[in-house]
Amino acid sequence: MRNDYLWDGSGAPDPEVQQLEHLLSVFRSRDRRPHTRTRWIAIAAALVMGVAAGWLVSRNAPESWQVSSARTGTGRLQVGETLETGVGGHATLEVGDAGMIEVEANSRLRLERARRNEQRMLLEHGLIHAFIWAPPRSFVVDTPLAVATDLGCFYTLEVGKDGAGLLHVTAGWVSFEHAGRESFIPAGAACQTRPGYGPGTPYREEAPAPLRQALQDFDFAHGGEPALDTILSTATRDDAFTLWHLLTRCDPAQEPRVYDRLAALVAPPAGVTRDAILQGNRQMLDRWWDQLGLGDTGWWRDLERKWP
Amino acid sequence: MSASPVVAISDDAELARAARQGNRVAFGRLYDRYRRMVHGILLARVPPWEVDDLVQDVFLSALRQLGNLRDDGAFGGWLAMIARNRAHDYHRRAHEWTELPENLPAAERPSSEAIAALDAIRSLPAAYRETLILRLVEGMTGDEIAARTGMTAASVRVNLHRGMKQLRQILESEAHA
Repeated sequence: MRNDYLWDGSGAPDPEVQQLEHLLSVFRSRDRRPHTRTRWIAIAAALVMGVAAGWLVSRNAPESWQVSSARTGTGRLQVGETLETGVGGHATLEVGDAGMIEVEANSRLRLERARRNEQRMLLEHGLIHAFIWAPPRSFVVDTPLAVATDLGCFYTLEVGKDGAGLLHVTAGWVSFEHAGRESFIPAGAACQTRPGYGPGTPYREEAPAPLRQALQDFDFAHGGEPALDTILSTATRDDAFTLWHLLTRCDPAQEPRVYDRLAALVAPPAGVTRDAILQGNRQMLDRWWDQLGLGDTGWWRDLERKWP
Repeated sequence: MSASPVVAISDDAELARAARQGNRVAFGRLYDRYRRMVHGILLARVPPWEVDDLVQDVFLSALRQLGNLRDDGAFGGWLAMIARNRAHDYHRRAHEWTELPENLPAAERPSSEAIAALDAIRSLPAAYRETLILRLVEGMTGDEIAARTGMTAASVRVNLHRGMKQLRQILESEAHA
């Protein structure tokens, strides 16, 4: 079917259809943003006295999560209690109104907080799949080596018995943080932690194997210049967010090379200068991030973004 | 500890099969591919400001029910049915937020013309409104709509053209009202 604008936008434009497309674009699906409803409600609560806010404070969420397991049936996990799934076990946790967690076999976790605005657990080891629809930053998973903070998404978090972690984001965003070092991980990307290092540099799941290996060497095995060479030579436009993170965590002597490669992949916007970026100018780093195609920093700021 | 397998699958049925076997990267791919369809189906039925959260509900539900999917090639139609059922459930339950909150910043608030246009589409028969929303709001082509929803291309074409004809009549009559 060609030359049929209504069918596929080809052929002579139909002005009426075009006008409708333009008008209705405000309703279009947008990815990689935190949940809209919660944001709208927060705004409404602030501006429309009492209505939504009253609802929010009048509901008392129980300080526990519902647990469903084929082995033990349904019960509640209280704050301070530990859940172990064991060999072949599996459990589903309902995190109040915040979302749901699937807990795989051989996992051990402890519920730390179960408040309406803060749901928090410690994953000592094992594997969970989290599906969170609560406002960003209201669901947090502590691991032995890092803290995973949900920014509105589906994600999988695996922690080994040595504390090493692997976080994979299916949809939305997750922040992975330890000792002031924070990684922002978008959908389709992953991030590892290792004892003694904290979160590594996030990367695309589908990044070339040499790039992923080089990042691992750089982050956790003192890979130095050889690893950085591989990272910079194999990174593509889709890996720009990886290089953006590297800018703030490599040695100062390496920053110019990272800057140049990132600039070759995604030109910095007008007014963002090399000198300012190399001096760690946060505002300019922010503006460069906006060019990466991963959403603008407006909502990062809404989330009280911390900087790596 | 091993990294998730890299998925280099282009076929939706293969992705559905991989996702059913626990591959979360494959499920993420399906999410990317079908998000607009699910969003459009919901937008045809529930208030716009509820849609984003319901999209997540639909994918969560799909993930939990993937084991029930008998034909991986029918993933799109199956997911569309979950989305329609979720919209139906929405209307069966009481909701605290049924109207657009007032005093929203301009950037958050659709124009009255946009709301009127959406309302006009939503007044059409179900098949027309869903197909038109996928085309006009979500920006999908006719071929994409057919591939994602499982409808035939001929059905999509009929829905688009008949729906657009009715929509023009509604908008014209409103303009003269």
